[in-house]
Amino acid sequence: MKRIIIDREKCDGCLNCNIACISAHEEGSNFYTVNMLSPDAETRNFIKFDAQKGYLPIFCRHCDEPECVLSCMSGALEKDPLTGHVQYDESKCAACYMCVMNCPYGVLKPDKRTRTKVIKCDFCDDKVDGPSCVKACPKKAIEVKEVSL
Amino acid sequence: MKIVIIGASAAGISAAKTIKASEPDTEVVIIAKEDRVHSRCMLHKFLGHERDVKGISFIADDFFETSGITWLNNTTVIGLDTQKKTVKTHDNQDISYDKLLIASGASYFIPPIPGLRESKNVYGFRDLKDAQLLDSECNTAKNAVVIGAGLVGMDAAVAMMERGLKVTVIEMTDAVMSLQLDQKSAQAYQQRFEEHGAEFILNDKVVSVDVDEVGRGKTIHLASGKVVPADVIVIAAGVRPAFGFITGSGIDTNHAILVGDDLQTNIDDIYAAGDVTGIAGIWPNAMKQGRIAALNMLGEKRSYEDRYALKNTVNFFGLTTLSLGNINPEPEENCEIFICEDRHNYQKVVLKNGVVQGVIIQGNIGGTGFWQYLIKNKIDISGKNKDVFGLSYADFYDQDQQTGEYRYAV
Ligand SMILES: Cc1cc2nc3c(=O)[nH]c(=O)nc-3n(C[C@H](O)[C@H](O)[C@H](O)COP(=O)(O)OP(=O)(O)OC[C@H]3O[C@@H](n4cnc5c(N)ncnc54)[C@H](O)[C@@H]3O)c2cc1C
Ligand code: SF4
Ligand code: SF4
Repeated sequence: MKRIIIDREKCDGCLNCNIACISAHEEGSNFYTVNMLSPDAETRNFIKFDAQKGYLPIFCRHCDEPECVLSCMSGALEKDPLTGHVQYDESKCAACYMCVMNCPYGVLKPDKRTRTKVIKCDFCDDKVDGPSCVKACPKKAIEVKEVSL
Repeated sequence: MKIVIIGASAAGISAAKTIKASEPDTEVVIIAKEDRVHSRCMLHKFLGHERDVKGISFIADDFFETSGITWLNNTTVIGLDTQKKTVKTHDNQDISYDKLLIASGASYFIPPIPGLRESKNVYGFRDLKDAQLLDSECNTAKNAVVIGAGLVGMDAAVAMMERGLKVTVIEMTDAVMSLQLDQKSAQAYQQRFEEHGAEFILNDKVVSVDVDEVGRGKTIHLASGKVVPADVIVIAAGVRPAFGFITGSGIDTNHAILVGDDLQTNIDDIYAAGDVTGIAGIWPNAMKQGRIAALNMLGEKRSYEDRYALKNTVNFFGLTTLSLGNINPEPEENCEIFICEDRHNYQKVVLKNGVVQGVIIQGNIGGTGFWQYLIKNKIDISGKNKDVFGLSYADFYDQDQQTGEYRYAV
C-alpha cells in the first residue's frame, strides 16, 4: 500500500501541509484562497515542536492493524482491502468518538463546530497525483512510498 | 475447518471478518438470537427517530453473502456438548464445530423491587427488540422514568426526550455517569440534560412500583418518600455476562466466562470474546477480543492483555468527554491530581509515582488517543519534565524506518 513516509529531520515546521489539507477539504478553494479562519477549517495532519527533537510531523499512518477501525461501532471506519487506506464514511458515523480514544497517536479529532463527525485523513481519496499535503511540502519531508501490507 | 460463533455483535462479527480475511476457506457459522445485525451503541438514534433499523447496522447489507458466512438469525443457543463438539439450538438443531467462539455478550436484569418485574411497561435498553417495544410505547406515553443514570440510561433518556416525553432519571449515587465522570464533569452533562427538559433525582432509589389493573407500573415510590408518575419505565441498572447455555459444559466461569490471554476457555477449542468475558464492556474491546480470538483459532499466538476496564467517550448535546482509568481516587491511594480549566474545557489527570492512573478530558478531546496508551502500558512520564497538559504523542515519537508506522519511544 501507499503510505506517507515522514523524514522529520527535513521538516521546517512551515505548516504548508496543514494549509494544503484544509484547502483540499474546502470545496472550490486553493492554497491561496482557502479560508483559514472558517469554523470548518480543520487540518488532518499536525506538526508538533519539541525543544530537543525539533519538528515532529504527525500524520495518519493508515495502520496495518488500525485501532480506530477496530473501535468503530457504526462501520464508518473501514480499511480498504485494495488500497490499504482507512476510509471514513460520515453518513454512517454516530459521533461516539471511540475512535478518537483509540488512535494511539492522537491523530483523530471531533470536528470543532458540530461535534457530529470525525476529522480523518482520507489520503485525498486516492487521487492519482497523490495527497495534497505531500505536494505542498517544499522540503520533501513527507513523500508517498509503497510499503508492503 | 468449521468455526461456529455464538453472537452477531461487536465480538462475533469482528471475529468472523478476521477469519474470512485471513483464511477464506474456513467455514464460518454465526448464530444469534436477533433478526438482524445492529449496533446497540446506536439504539438511542433508533429510538429518537434519527435513524431507522438499517441506519443502525454496522455491516454492509450483503455482508453475509459476499463473505460466505452462514448466518442463523432468530436462533437461540440453549446448550453445548463439548464431547461431541455440538451446539444445541432452541429449534433442536445440533450444529457441529471444530472451534467455537462464545460471543454472547451481556444482558440486563431487573432488580427484585416489588412491582417492578411484574410491570408490563418496564423495558431494558440492550437490543433492537427493546428499542422497538419502547418505540411503540413512546407513541402514546407522556412520562418516562429511567432507572439508572449510567451511559445506557442517559442514552435512553436522550432518545425519549427527543420524542417529546417528560423524562425523569432516578439514580442511586450522587451524580450522573458516576463511573466515567467526576462531580464537575458530571454536572456539566446534568445541566445540559436539564436545560432540555429532563429531571434528575439523585441519591435515591426505587422501593416499589404500583401496578394498575392492566398490569402497568404507574407510580414509582422512592426511598425518600418521593412519588414519580410513569407511563413507561426503562431499567438501566447494569448488565451481566450472558452465558446460561453453557451450564454443565465444564467451562470455567466466575460471573463471566473465564479466558486466558489467548482468549481460550479452560476447554480446548472453545474461545470467548466480548462482554461475556467480563473484561471490558465496551465496543472497541469486544471487537479487539473477537479479532484476537479469531487469529488464535486459526493457529496464531496472539495475546490480549488490555484488561483494565474503565475507558469511555461521552457525547451528549455536543459536549464531548474522554474518561480513562481511575478518575476518582480515594485519599488513601495517595495520588496527585492536576486540573486545568478554561471556559470550554475541563481536564483532570491523576498521577501516582509518575504513572498516569486516570484522565478526564471534557471539551476538546481531539488528539487525546495517546492517553489510553500511556495508562494501559503504565508509562512513567516523570522523566518528561513537562506540564502534563502539554503532553501528546509527539513526546513519545518514534517510527519504524521500514514501514513508516509509528511506535512509542518509552
Ligand atoms: C444502549 C447501549 C449503548 C452503548 N453505547 C456504547 C458506546 O457508545 N460505546 C461503547 O464502546 N460501548 C457501548 N455500549 C456497550 C457495547 O454495546 C458492548 O460492549 C458491545 O455490544 C459488546 O459486544 P459483544 O459482541 O460482546 O456482545 P453483545 O453486543 O451483547 O451481543 C451479543 C450477541 O450474542 C447473541 N446471543 C446472546 N445469547 C445468545 C444465545 N443464547 N443464542 C444465540 N445468540 C445469543 C445476541 O443475540 C447478540 O448477537 C453500549 C451498550 C448499550 C446497551
Ligand atoms: S487514525 Fe490512527 S489508528 Fe487509525 S489508521 Fe490513522 S494512525 Fe492508525
Ligand atoms: S465517532 Fe464515528 S467513526 Fe469514530 S468510532 Fe464512533 S461511529 Fe466510528
